[in-house]
Amino acid sequence: MDNTAKRLLQRLVRRIPSQMLKTTLDKWSRLTAAQRQSMDYTESKWALTEKLLAICEENELTVKHIAELEMIRKSSEVTYYYHILYDAHSVELTQFKEQFKSHLSELIRHVSIKIKKHTDEAVWIRIAWGDTFSRPNHLKPTYVVHYLQTPYVFLTSPTSKQKPLLSQALVLSTRYQAIKDANLSGRKLTAIRDLLMKQYLQVFPTKFPSPLAERNCVVSNLHIEKEQAGSAANRHQMACEAFGDGILPQLQSAVYKLETKFRDHTNKTMTERDEPFKCVVKFASTNLLESLRHSASSGVASTPVTPLLSSVPLKGKNYFVITDNGPGPSSQMKPSQK
Amino acid sequence: MSLLKPFSKLPGLNTANILLVESEEQFQQSLADALVEETSVTVNVRLAKSLPLPMENDESRPRIDLVVFIINLTSELSFQSAEASLKYLDPGYFLGKVCFMVTNARNASSPAERLDAVRKLASSLHCPLLFAEDQTPDGVASATERLLTILKVAAGLVPIATALYVSNLTRCTLPLDIDLPSFD
Repeated sequence: MDNTAKRLLQRLVRRIPSQMLKTTLDKWSRLTAAQRQSMDYTESKWALTEKLLAICEENELTVKHIAELEMIRKSSEVTYYYHILYDAHSVELTQFKEQFKSHLSELIRHVSIKIKKHTDEAVWIRIAWGDTFSRPNHLKPTYVVHYLQTPYVFLTSPTSKQKPLLSQALVLSTRYQAIKDANLSGRKLTAIRDLLMKQYLQVFPTKFPSPLAERNCVVSNLHIEKEQAGSAANRHQMACEAFGDGILPQLQSAVYKLETKFRDHTNKTMTERDEPFKCVVKFASTNLLESLRHSASSGVASTPVTPLLSSVPLKGKNYFVITDNGPGPSSQMKPSQK
Repeated sequence: MSLLKPFSKLPGLNTANILLVESEEQFQQSLADALVEETSVTVNVRLAKSLPLPMENDESRPRIDLVVFIINLTSELSFQSAEASLKYLDPGYFLGKVCFMVTNARNASSPAERLDAVRKLASSLHCPLLFAEDQTPDGVASATERLLTILKVAAGLVPIATALYVSNLTRCTLPLDIDLPSFD
């Protein structure tokens, strides 16, 4: 086993939490039953790494096999960016695999590609980049996730050199016309996927939200009464219409880049300037949509919810550029092209 | 203007009605659950986010004996909402039927100026200022006890004591050096 493979394996074992190590190795299925039995998971990580290295030497595993292990352990520490593909023809899996591998290998020599299809219709691609002079660098791979029947592609940590090559290979192999950055990023792949495909409880506007009030009475105590229950229910309804009900997908941030004119009557010097005032507003949270919904239903954010906030789930974006738009309604939203 | 009036309705027998006004609607719920457990008196609790109260409930609302404004010192919005609600109370309430309750006074993120502002507000209106701890059940229980003491007097259920008399003893007073900077 060469050095790269050893280093990759060491890094992997370090990153996988001890509880998950056993299940991950079982899923990998490159160790024989006897070898799996001989691993004692109560030892320290260092001892486990040594043991695993010895076993892999025995089995003569190469970097390619270790890469499989990494793919199984989907890393949730990276940020996923999502892109849209346009003008589709539907493409079948094996065709896509061959085309993608051949296109990318044509574009850049020494690239190591691994494609795997998961049970939930997602195709995972792991790419280790090298160039004409060096071997593929397995320590900094790029992951690409594509759901075959949808126009969505999710990438992790693309650099500016690799993106155009990757985009071209993807467009050609999926037979779409173009690929565009869609301004949505987050730490959990499942969360941004659920947000895009609207896999959370949607609430639709209705004139009579609770028709069967007699059946649904949840009064805690007859002596306690809420004076403003009606307006509280209204706010809650509007917040849920804007953001959805139940558990919401976990987004971590929303960034608004403002290029609007400064407006504050008390500050004449700034207001008199002609050029727009540029600033960036960032909302960050462990679960951003949940916090926005709570701020709307508790009255901190005024209801009906402003389109600035409700576009996050509606359009499925979390990067906005806001500009003034002449004499018409000011601060309209324009998607930015990155 | 829809003022809340203190003596426009008849009182109930052995009943005390309290109105808890809190912009965040958190502490008032746990206080309400503890208040209704009082056995010697029937306590009815009304919860509101701010005043004025909706007109639709005017008919069914009983006579409110005590109005408590709960202010969270870590939030400016909480203080401003309470201040804005004060003008919807009939002046008759300020003769011992209004009380201020403040939470998170020991929190590092609450500025000292806000507590001073609440103190000045409470003393200018001759109202008591209570400090409460809302995170533990013990804190909620002790806040409930203190509120019940004032509530029983305000509802007229304690012989010889009236709300105005007691408020003279319990009202918030300003320390003489309130406007000097503090050394922390």
